[in-house]
Amino acid sequence: MEMTAVPPRGKVKATGSVRARKVTDNVATVVLWAMACSIIVMLAAFIVYMIYLGGSALSLSFLFGVPKETTAGGGIGPEIYNSFYILLMTLAFTVPIAVAAGVYLQEYARPGTFRNVVQFSAESLATVPSVVMGLFGLLVFVYLFKWKFTALGGALTLTLLNLPALMRVTQEALSSVPDTLREASMGLGGTKWQTITRVVLPSAIGRMTTGVVLIAGRIFGETAALIFTAGLSVPFNNPYDLNPMRPAETLAVHLWYTHSESIVPDVDRIGNGSALVLLLMVLLFNVSARVLGRQLTKRFTGRYS
Amino acid sequence: MIAVQARRSHRAERIAVFGLRVAAGFVILAMLALLGYLAFEGTKTFYVDKFPLWQFLFSPDFAIDSGKPGAAVFIAGTLAVTLCAILIGGPFGIAVGVFLAEIAPLRMTQILKPAIEVMVGIPSVVYGWLGLTLLVPIIRTHTSSPSGFGLAAAGIVLAIMILPTVITLSEDAFRSLPGALKEGSLALGATRWQTITRVLLPSASSGLAVALILGIARAIGETLAIQMVIGNSAQFANGLFAPTAALTTEIVTDMPGATEGSLLEHVLFSMAFLLLLIAMVLIVLVRFALRKRS
Amino acid sequence: MKKNAALAALLLGLSVVASSTPVFADTNITIAGSTALLPLVKDAAAAYQQAHGDVKISVSGGGSGTGINQVAAKAIDIGDSDIQAPTHPELKDNRVAVIGFAIVTHPATGVKSLTKKQLQDIFSAKVTNWKEVGGADQKIVVINRPRSSGTRAVFTKTVMGSVAISESGLTEDATGTVVSVVKQTPGAISYAALSGTRGGGLNELSVDGVAPTDDNIITGKYPVWSYEHMFTNGPATGEISRFIAFVQSNSDLVRKDGFILIRDMKVNETDR
Repeated sequence: MEMTAVPPRGKVKATGSVRARKVTDNVATVVLWAMACSIIVMLAAFIVYMIYLGGSALSLSFLFGVPKETTAGGGIGPEIYNSFYILLMTLAFTVPIAVAAGVYLQEYARPGTFRNVVQFSAESLATVPSVVMGLFGLLVFVYLFKWKFTALGGALTLTLLNLPALMRVTQEALSSVPDTLREASMGLGGTKWQTITRVVLPSAIGRMTTGVVLIAGRIFGETAALIFTAGLSVPFNNPYDLNPMRPAETLAVHLWYTHSESIVPDVDRIGNGSALVLLLMVLLFNVSARVLGRQLTKRFTGRYS
Repeated sequence: MIAVQARRSHRAERIAVFGLRVAAGFVILAMLALLGYLAFEGTKTFYVDKFPLWQFLFSPDFAIDSGKPGAAVFIAGTLAVTLCAILIGGPFGIAVGVFLAEIAPLRMTQILKPAIEVMVGIPSVVYGWLGLTLLVPIIRTHTSSPSGFGLAAAGIVLAIMILPTVITLSEDAFRSLPGALKEGSLALGATRWQTITRVLLPSASSGLAVALILGIARAIGETLAIQMVIGNSAQFANGLFAPTAALTTEIVTDMPGATEGSLLEHVLFSMAFLLLLIAMVLIVLVRFALRKRS
Repeated sequence: MKKNAALAALLLGLSVVASSTPVFADTNITIAGSTALLPLVKDAAAAYQQAHGDVKISVSGGGSGTGINQVAAKAIDIGDSDIQAPTHPELKDNRVAVIGFAIVTHPATGVKSLTKKQLQDIFSAKVTNWKEVGGADQKIVVINRPRSSGTRAVFTKTVMGSVAISESGLTEDATGTVVSVVKQTPGAISYAALSGTRGGGLNELSVDGVAPTDDNIITGKYPVWSYEHMFTNGPATGEISRFIAFVQSNSDLVRKDGFILIRDMKVNETDR
């Protein structure tokens, strides 16, 4: 990113005594340190507070049991299953499209109208509020296609919602691959396609994986878009149904539903437990993103990045 | 033999590249479909129900049963919570961004950055749940607000939620400044704080504008976290602790029960379309700020 | 240009394939709507599925408006509602039970009974402190349901009459939320189906001195009640009609969940 130095607008002329300036500087440093630390403290406090609230709810019967609708003692097994089910479907749709589009934009597209329009569309799509995307999903999958509330409709809505972020991940990963690598491959007589598939993508795969897993964490917790598309219920008889054309309440949606619609007497226990599980899943996704990314980079390129 | 293979692989490559182009084109198509469909549904308030645009935008009367589709209360609610969020989260986020770019030692960065990524990943409903179980009772017991639900609770939850966006983007803005700028200032005898406030901040202004705009975009679109704590009253907030409603929260509250083709449904789609337009305007602003920067 | 045309054709083709995907057999029953009726339908669905292993029923809330709206759009099979659907003549009304609604407050308000007039004043925000109606010196926090709620509609019709509900109150999505917020908020008042208030911890008000008991509802002394409807798009057939009949006939479940059998009612309100 080229930058021309902007001449400072403020006065650079020394003001006040040297000592006063030093004191101000030290105070400012301390304040900034305090602010940064407060973020870590706040996050740690959230996690501890959630463990304190929800820790006692975590039991095998809670994690793997089926939800109860009117009595206490319900579990969240089908909700966890649905979260992963919708997540995997979404990734299966999103990753190929996003990687292909990202490769095209980064490696093939010349500057011009098409590339600009794609970029602008992606940026706009990325800022579309989740609830607006949910309404779009409602219009298309529930009303237009007459699918009713389905896991598939939810996954397709989430695909649209997360496509831009995954595209950006791909583009950033590709742009971090040094041009010397590309030149070396082309110099050895490789075609552009060979260079991309055999040299560039393997070098970028570590970063891409980190990005994908982080986004997977966000898909796992998505709520507003799913309320209107995947619905608020799970089939009683066969909660672990593989059929994509059935309603699929995810864990995050269940937390909202528990707060807003549920009439079970142990609302707080279920809410706190669900919130804690969601939080732990986010931590898990973050850690595995890093570990996986590092492993893959090492395997494909023999170096750490 | 080799020539045939080369030609075959050349053709395969052309097909593959066409496939990539289709994938890129899909993004345009998706955006056009979204825009077109929401524009179609979102303008029915005006061309089917024949209400004038100004009434939707500026009338505070939201009484669908008596044919009053004014959305001013929700527009004001969205602006108010966004303002709260950016007034708290903006300066805080920029400060931490400066800290990361200029002050933090490597050890600290290695803790803070993953922490921020975890914050991005925490689902909206979990923030809402925290707000509901932690913040609302605090506000209820320590202020004059009888219920604890309202503007302040929503603003604080939102401020926390936009922090990662503002921090990450303002750190990028500071990092992309040329090193000579800082070195020159320090060499002239300025302290680090003077360098930050008088040299780096003004130079990074357009990058910081991007950070704030995208923070605002996140705040405007946020739904469930604030729906759980804002109180959802169709009235202007007459104080920091008064319950009110935002565009997104009103959609979630009333959309499930809106009959297809009813005025209520049309007005809610108009509100969704308005949100989409706001998002696109913000993106144009971001592009403008970026162009100014380069 | 050609490429873009091909692209458009491909996507069109995909969407046609997608839209013609068969919707699975009618032994999959999807139900949504009234959160007042929810407990009965949920329990009935669980019992029904135990007896009929091949039927899958999924039930969710959303409010009466949601139920009517989505069954009319054929997004679901049965729409539960506390109110009738005069704007949708194509919907077939299946009455399954009667439910009473309680006016509930936080226990610390110190009020046990209010007149209709007092309730109207409170919900239209003319009265804003409990001491004005004989209670503690405590601000009143009014909690409403969304506009599409059947519970709100019943409350409006039977208590408010022509007096408009003030927008200054909080709005909570469903019976469950209302109950939990009223429990936690000193000074809170709202209305909720008796099927949802049985967990305790709430103060149920008498209206004009009449308590919301089954006897008072059956004899029509207590005014705030309504029929519960399960709407189908056109006459119910097959498994759907059998399930509705199961709900109507299962008097044990109906009574256990706090509802009243229609045949027990001594008054008849045809226009609700």
